[in-house]
Amino acid sequence: MDIKPMVLVIEDENAICNFITAILNSNGYRVVKSNTGKTGLSMAVSYNPDVILLDLGLPDMDGVEVLKSIREWSKIPVVVVSARGHEREKVEVLDLGADDYIVKPFGTSELLARIRTALRHSPQSMGGELNGTEKITIGDLEIDFAKRLILLNGNMVHVTPVEYKILALLSKNAGKVLTHDYIIKEIWGAYADDSHTLRVNMANIRRKIESNPGFPKYILTEMGVGYRMAEEVN
Amino acid sequence: METLEARPDPDAILDKIRAQQEKDSGKLKIFFGYAAGVGKTYAMLDDAQEQYRCGKNVLVGYVEPHTRPDTLQFLQGLPALPPRKILYRNIELQEFDLDEALRRRPELILVDELAHTNAEGVRNRKRFQDIEELLNAGIDVYTTVNVQHMESLNDVIEDITKIRVKETVPDYIFERADMIKLVDIEPQELLLRFEEGKIYRPDQAQTAMLNFFSLDNLKLLREIAMRKAADRISNENQNERRLSQKLANTKMLVCIGPSPSSARCIRWTARAADAFHAHWVALYVESIESNYLTEEQQKTIRANMDLAEKLGAEIVTLSGHDIAETVSEYSKLSGITNIVVGKSRNKKTLKNLFELDFEDKLISFLPNIEVYIIPGSTVRRNYKKPRKTLPIKKVNFSWLDFTKTLGLLTAATVLGYGLRRLGIGDQNVIMAYILSVLIISRVTTGHIYGVIASVVSVLTFNFFFTEPYFTFNTIQAGYPITFLIMLLVALITSTMTVRIKTQASLSVQRERRTEVLYEINKKLLITRGLENIVALTNEYIINLFGRSVIFFSVDPEQGEAGSVMQAPEDVDGSLLNSEDEKAVAHWVFLNQKRAGAGTDTLMGAAAFYMPVISQGKVLAVLGISCLKGTLDHNTRLFLRMIASQVAMSLERQRLSDEQRSIIVEAEKEKMRSNLLRAIAHDLRTPLAGILGASSAIRENKNTLDEKTCEKLNGDIQEEAQWLLRMVENLLSVTRINESASKVTKSPEAAEEVIAEAVGRIKKRFPQRKIIVSVPDDLLEVPMDGTLIAQVLINLLENAIKHSTDDSFVEVILKKTGEYALFQVLDHGKGIADEDYPYLFTSYVPNGNKSSDSSRGMGIGLSICMTIIKAHNGTMEAYNRSEGGAVFQFSLPLEGSE
Repeated sequence: MDIKPMVLVIEDENAICNFITAILNSNGYRVVKSNTGKTGLSMAVSYNPDVILLDLGLPDMDGVEVLKSIREWSKIPVVVVSARGHEREKVEVLDLGADDYIVKPFGTSELLARIRTALRHSPQSMGGELNGTEKITIGDLEIDFAKRLILLNGNMVHVTPVEYKILALLSKNAGKVLTHDYIIKEIWGAYADDSHTLRVNMANIRRKIESNPGFPKYILTEMGVGYRMAEEVN
Repeated sequence: METLEARPDPDAILDKIRAQQEKDSGKLKIFFGYAAGVGKTYAMLDDAQEQYRCGKNVLVGYVEPHTRPDTLQFLQGLPALPPRKILYRNIELQEFDLDEALRRRPELILVDELAHTNAEGVRNRKRFQDIEELLNAGIDVYTTVNVQHMESLNDVIEDITKIRVKETVPDYIFERADMIKLVDIEPQELLLRFEEGKIYRPDQAQTAMLNFFSLDNLKLLREIAMRKAADRISNENQNERRLSQKLANTKMLVCIGPSPSSARCIRWTARAADAFHAHWVALYVESIESNYLTEEQQKTIRANMDLAEKLGAEIVTLSGHDIAETVSEYSKLSGITNIVVGKSRNKKTLKNLFELDFEDKLISFLPNIEVYIIPGSTVRRNYKKPRKTLPIKKVNFSWLDFTKTLGLLTAATVLGYGLRRLGIGDQNVIMAYILSVLIISRVTTGHIYGVIASVVSVLTFNFFFTEPYFTFNTIQAGYPITFLIMLLVALITSTMTVRIKTQASLSVQRERRTEVLYEINKKLLITRGLENIVALTNEYIINLFGRSVIFFSVDPEQGEAGSVMQAPEDVDGSLLNSEDEKAVAHWVFLNQKRAGAGTDTLMGAAAFYMPVISQGKVLAVLGISCLKGTLDHNTRLFLRMIASQVAMSLERQRLSDEQRSIIVEAEKEKMRSNLLRAIAHDLRTPLAGILGASSAIRENKNTLDEKTCEKLNGDIQEEAQWLLRMVENLLSVTRINESASKVTKSPEAAEEVIAEAVGRIKKRFPQRKIIVSVPDDLLEVPMDGTLIAQVLINLLENAIKHSTDDSFVEVILKKTGEYALFQVLDHGKGIADEDYPYLFTSYVPNGNKSSDSSRGMGIGLSICMTIIKAHNGTMEAYNRSEGGAVFQFSLPLEGSE
C-alpha cells in the first residue's frame, strides 16, 4: 500500500517525542504528536490513526484514563510506553485493552517491532487473516492448527492438550505479550486462578521446544506480566 | 547566651500540653448551688438555650423528670435524648443513656444531677463517671450539683444538717470543671419557694426535707457553698505562680485505721491538702492486732482506703508493732510536714497508764512535725467499737496449748521444790516460774496462755513456796511486792515474747511479698520482648493468686485478643477473651482507670481490669478473673505494685525497641548517604563523557570524520547505558520495603528470571556467549522477580566486564537442599585479593582509587547484597582454581506468603 501508516504519539517529554518521530519518519510512518492527554484524545478522534503510542505519565491526566476513553469507542491498537519496574501497571493497562507495552528506555528496533506487531494485530489488518491460517512457523517451530500438531525441525513434538492450547494461543498472538491472567482465563476458564499451574506447564513446554529452557528462543518471559511468543528467531 | 534563650521554657511547654489536653477533652461547666430549688437546672437550661441560639449542637442528655414546670418550659426547642429505661426489681427506672450520647457526639450535652447514683445494670455506678467519659470523648458538659454532695465536705454538712448525704462526688470533678457557676438566692426566698411547693411537689415525702430546710441550715450551707466557690477562684488566681513551690513544701499524712472516724480525718486532710495544694498520704499500719480485726473492721479499712484514694491520696500500708514508731519512721523518710491523727480511743485502759498516748509519742518522736488531732465523730454514736469481740476471737482454745501450759507450770513447780530441798533460795524459784512463763509464751499461740501462766505461777508460788505453805496467805512483809513484781515481770515477758513472735510472722509475710516483688522485678529486668514480659507477668499472677489472668498489650479495639493464661484451679479462662470482656478492657485503655468486677464501673464483668500506666499512657491492661469472688484490698494493692513493675518493664521494652529502630534507622541513613555519595561521584564521570562527546559532535560537525563521529556516538551510548543501569539499580533499592527491609515475595519460576536477565544482557552484549543451564525440574522460588533479575544482570555484567571478549560466561541454577543456588561464572582474571574484603560494600577504602575502576562493581554488588539479604538469602564470591571468578547466591525455597 502506498499510504503510510499513521502513528499518534501521546508523550509529554519532547526529547523522547523527537527521537520517536525521527525513527518513525525514517521508517515509513506518518507521525502526529500530542503533549497532553486531552489533545491526544481529540487527535485520536480526528486523525483516526493506525497505532497510538501512549505514555502513561502525562501532565494533565493519567495515561490509564486516556486508554480507557479510547477503548470506549475504538479498537485502534495502543502501545503503552511505561517505566520499568511497574509490573502491576503493565498488567493493568494490558487488561484494560492496551495491545502491547514498551519499557523506557527502548531501542529503535524494539520500538519498530512493537509497532509492527500492533499493526498486524489491529482489527483492520486482522480481517480474518489469522483465523484462516492453517499453520504458523517461527524459526524451526511449526504449529499446525488444522492437524493440531507441533513440529520442531520437522519432527513432531508430543504435547498435552493443555500445552497445545497454550502454544496455539501464544502463537496466534505472536509478538504480543499476553498476561498471566489472560492466558489462564483462556485456557482454564474464567474462575481458575492458579499461576503455579501455568508456570509448570510453561516449563514443560519449554523443555519440549526450547534447546535451552534457561535461555528460551520461542516463548519469552515478561517478568511479572506474562509471556510473549517471539515473532521471528534470529 | 543565645542557646540559653533558645531553650524552651518548661512552663510554656506545660501550658502547651495543658492547652492540648483542654482541646482534646470536653469542657465541664458545673452549676453549683447550696440546696435544691435554688435554680440550678433553670440556669443550666437558660444557658443551654443561649448556646443553642448561637448555633451550637446542644443535646439535653438528662433532666430530672420531677423538674419544676416553669423550669421545664426552657426545655422546649432543645433536642433531647430519650432516657434509657432499665427494669430493676420490676420497677422501671429511667437513666441517662451514655452510649447513645457518645454515639451522637453533640458539642454540648446537658446532664442534670452530677451526684446521681446509677441504677444497677448501667455501666458506671455514678453519674460523674458517665460525665468523665463524655468529657474524655471531647464533648462539653453542663451539669448541676449541690454543695452537700461534695465528698470532702460530707461530714461538715453532716454536722450541720444531721443528715448523712449518701450520694457524693469526689472533689477532683469539681477541680476539673472549667467553669463553676454559683447559683444563689436568699435563703428566705428559698424557704418561701419551698412553702409554696415549688421545690418539691406536695406528693413527695417531705419529713426529711423539712429538717433540712431550716433557715439556719440554709444559711450555713450557703456560706459553705460560697466559700467553696471563692476558694476555687482564689486558687485559680494563685495557681500559676505558687503551685510548684507549695507542692514541694508541704506533704501531709493521715493515719487511718479501722475506726470509722478515720473517714473524718481523711476528709479533713483532703480539704487541708487541697487548701495547701499539698500532696498527701494515707498511711495504714498493720500491726499484730490487724490479725484479729473483725470482718466489719476490715471492711471499714478498705472503705477508708478507697475514700482516701478517691480524694486523691497516695495509699501506703506498712507493718510494725508500734504504730507511732512506724509512722514517725515513715514520716522522716518521706519528708512529711504535717500529720493528721484521729482521737477516739478509750482512755480508760490499763495499758494507757503505762504507755504514752499515740499522739504524744508521735510528737516526742517528731518534734519538728505539726500534728493535727481530729476528734472522733460525735454524730454517730450508734457505732459500737467491737472491742469486746476481740478477746473471744483471740482465745482459740486448744487442748495442746493447755496441756503445754499445765505441764510447764508443773515442771516449774517440781523444779521449785527441788531447789527448795537443796536449800537454794526463793529467788531461784521465781526465776524458774518466769522461765516457764517465757517458754509457755513461746510455744503456745496467742496472748492468753502467757497471761494465765503469769497469774497461775504467782498463785502457785504463793501457795507452795511462801509461808504459811499451802495457803494463799503470806506473813512475810515483802511478799506482796514480790508477787506484784513477779506478776509484772511474767506479764511483760509473755507479752514481749508474743509480740516478737507476731512481729516475726508479720515480717515473714512482708518479706515474702517483697521477695516476690523483687523476684518479679529481677525477672522482668532480664526479660526481653513483649511476649516474654506478658508470659512472665501472667505466670506470677497465677502463682500468687490462683486466678486466671488476661493481658492486653494492645487495645482490644484494634482487633488483637489478649493473651490468656489459665490458672489450674480457676474456671475457664477463655471467657476472658469474649467480646464483653474486651469491651471492658477497651474502656480501661480509654479511661485509664480500673474497671470490672469489684469496682464502680462495669461491675458485671467477669474479671477485674487494671491499667498498666507509665507516664500518663496506658501501656497494657491486666485482667484478673473474679469468678471466684472479688479481690480484696491487699491483693489489689499487691497487684498494683506488680503492675508498676510491669509498667516499668514495658516502658523499658518500648524504649529499647525505639532505640533499636533508631539505630536501624541511623544505620540505614548512613548506608543511604554512603550510597548517595558514591553514586554522585560515579554519575559525574559518564555524564561528563556524554556531554563532552555530544558537544564535540555538534560543534565540530564539519571537521570530524565519519569514523570519529561514530566512535563518539558509541561512547555516548555506552555511557548512557551505564547510567541507565545505575538508575535501575537505585530504583530496585527503593523496591525493598523501607521499614522492614523486606521484599514482597511471590513464587517465580527461577529459569524465567534467569531468562529475563540473560535476555536483557544479550541486548547490550549481543556478541558475548552466555551459557545457561537449569535443572530438569521447574524450580519455583519465592522472590521479587524484578529484583533478582536485577541481581543477575549486575553479576552478568560484572562477569562480562571482567573477562575477555571471546570467553564465555555461565549461569547455573541448582537446587541444593532447601535453597535455590544461582551461580554466575566467568573465565576472567578473578577477584583481586585487595578487593576481596570490600566486594559487597559500597564503601571503597582506597579513596585515591580511580572512579573508573569502582564503576564495574562497587555499588552494583552492594545493592545485590542488599537485595539478597532482604530475601533471607546468602551471597558469596570466590575464585575458581581453574581461573575466573564465581559469584553465587542462594534463596530459600520456603517462605512465600
